[in-house]
Amino acid sequence: MKFWGIRLVSILVAIGACFALQGLTGHWSDYAQRIVVLIGLYVTLAVSLNLINGITGQFSIGHAAFYQVGAYTAGYLTLTYFNSPRVQGMLHGLPANSRLTIWLLLMIIVGALAAALAGLLVGLPSLRLKGDYLAIVTLGFGEIIRIIVQNQQALGGSYGMNVTPKYESIAVIWLLAIVCIACCRNLLKTAHGLPFLSVREDEVAGQAMGVNVTRTKVTAFLIGSAFAGAAGALLAHFEGFITPATFGMDVSFIILTMVVLGGTGSITGSVIAAALLTYLPEYLRGFKGADGNALSLSGANVVAWMVGVALAVGLLRWVMQKHIESKGKRLGFYVGAIVAGAVGRIVGNLVFAHIAPLQDKQIPIDQVRMVIFAVVLIVIMLLRPQGIFAHHEFSWSLVRRLFKREEVPHTAVSV
Amino acid sequence: MSLLTLDKATIRFGGLIAVNEVSFDLNKGDLFGLIGPNGAGKTTCFNLITGVYTPTSGDIIFNGKKIQGTPPNKIAGLGICRTFQNIRLFPALSVLENVVVGGYLRHRTSLASALLYLPPALKETERLKAEAMENLKILDLDGVPNARAADLPYGMQRRLEIARAMATKPELLLLDEPAAGMNPLEKQDLMETVRRIRDNYGITILVIEHDMRFVMNLCERIVVLDHGEEIAQGPPDQIRNDPKVISAYLGEPV
Repeated sequence: MKFWGIRLVSILVAIGACFALQGLTGHWSDYAQRIVVLIGLYVTLAVSLNLINGITGQFSIGHAAFYQVGAYTAGYLTLTYFNSPRVQGMLHGLPANSRLTIWLLLMIIVGALAAALAGLLVGLPSLRLKGDYLAIVTLGFGEIIRIIVQNQQALGGSYGMNVTPKYESIAVIWLLAIVCIACCRNLLKTAHGLPFLSVREDEVAGQAMGVNVTRTKVTAFLIGSAFAGAAGALLAHFEGFITPATFGMDVSFIILTMVVLGGTGSITGSVIAAALLTYLPEYLRGFKGADGNALSLSGANVVAWMVGVALAVGLLRWVMQKHIESKGKRLGFYVGAIVAGAVGRIVGNLVFAHIAPLQDKQIPIDQVRMVIFAVVLIVIMLLRPQGIFAHHEFSWSLVRRLFKREEVPHTAVSV
Repeated sequence: MSLLTLDKATIRFGGLIAVNEVSFDLNKGDLFGLIGPNGAGKTTCFNLITGVYTPTSGDIIFNGKKIQGTPPNKIAGLGICRTFQNIRLFPALSVLENVVVGGYLRHRTSLASALLYLPPALKETERLKAEAMENLKILDLDGVPNARAADLPYGMQRRLEIARAMATKPELLLLDEPAAGMNPLEKQDLMETVRRIRDNYGITILVIEHDMRFVMNLCERIVVLDHGEEIAQGPPDQIRNDPKVISAYLGEPV
């Protein structure tokens, strides 16, 4: 009974939190709301790709294709059938708003199924491929889907497709993210997660222990792509407009970056990296000076920043490779490295300001935001090659250990 | 009744005949040794039995059924499990998780119940974990269930491989050089453990080993391979004095 009590409470809390988020963001600008929505969608995408890439170890880099299949399937069906007399007849008697809600839930499922079918299509022939070869096939598959859609006049071609009616609900998008996280976490918490991990660790040994490697890989592709498809369906209905460019290779790569940056195999890492990488470019866009115009840095300033960051990163890496026994001393070295970087920037500023061509060149931050974004990625990967969360997951015992200063045991999952 | 029969099992890789018409019989409860110089085809024999390779000709019969051509994971389900010559653990997983993978093939709950975190899947997980702990106890590894497999010292990794194979509840356990790289004391220990596994759990054991003392002391019957051919078969005393075996290992007298 206690078990079901906890379950019920946690489900209610999750739903409540989603609607609270919707309420909280209700009066925000469209732009701010859209960022919240994108974070929710990218959390779903990163966590679902993490199941394929991080947990099962199948290097798939065409995740945007599944996202696209879900979006276009759901979008097309809504556009074509929602206002048809038959569908309206079936939904007759319900208030207009709940008609659309029911239809949207149906579209999420349809989008997920269509993407899962695509996942099966790419998963089956990929079973004989590993590593780089699988990556190339999934990349190619993603491009094939995008180009096919681009050439379908019925789907709007490269102009894109209007999806009406729209359904703008932050709560539903975040609920999907939570369901996706919960499914992956549940999988790892039970013995059912182990065949997936064993395929990643050593396929041959797994098969010798009775793991059906084929079925495990296909299952990972099915579940992972289904969630991506569901996210696509929600995107189509939230934006009301989708084009093939929304699902380009860059989207696939950013999802992959989220998985790797967060720590391959770590659900927590994927979530945090998804939020960070979605928010960061938008945050950089928002740098404004006192007069409301975009803030600019002088060329000298930029070079000084480069010197400072390079100095700090180099020193931090040097400290990391050094063997220092005491934790306090270690922390001192880290602080020292960062201070040295800051000093480097200040000194650099003073020096480079005397170089006229550098000093006179003005560089608006929002124009180079993607460069800054890339630098942040490089710095994180240099300082933490195993990803932000490495192979750990968030847990309360982890938090407790952090305060007790105990070593965290090296387990991939806590079955 | 014989548990496993190799009947003129042969496999060719192009022009090379790796295993040529090898035949032997294992009875239930046997402690059987498979020896031979490097490249004799011992591990290939294991790969034939466990379904990694399909024999070019000949039969492999387990419990009265021909099993050649069955995929390795199904073979494990039939009750044959193995360890590897070069250790193949799941390095990033914990010791306990490694063993639970072995027990997973006997799980009875659906994936959906795991995804939804329902009580059947949780109970099954608990049961598999308890079973895994039992297997760790047999191999004397119950002190380190949460250590990463890759962090274990070599001897323990070898034992963990056996514990993982035991978790599949095999009728026939194939050990590929289980004593390689162990010191004499560890070898003695391992010998006793292997014997105990046979005696207490009635598991038939087929072992490949290079260490003659280990094999001669442990096994009750031995088959000797050389260049893919079977050159002798019998109890240790007979094998020890077989001129063909002596020449295969030591070379012809000058």
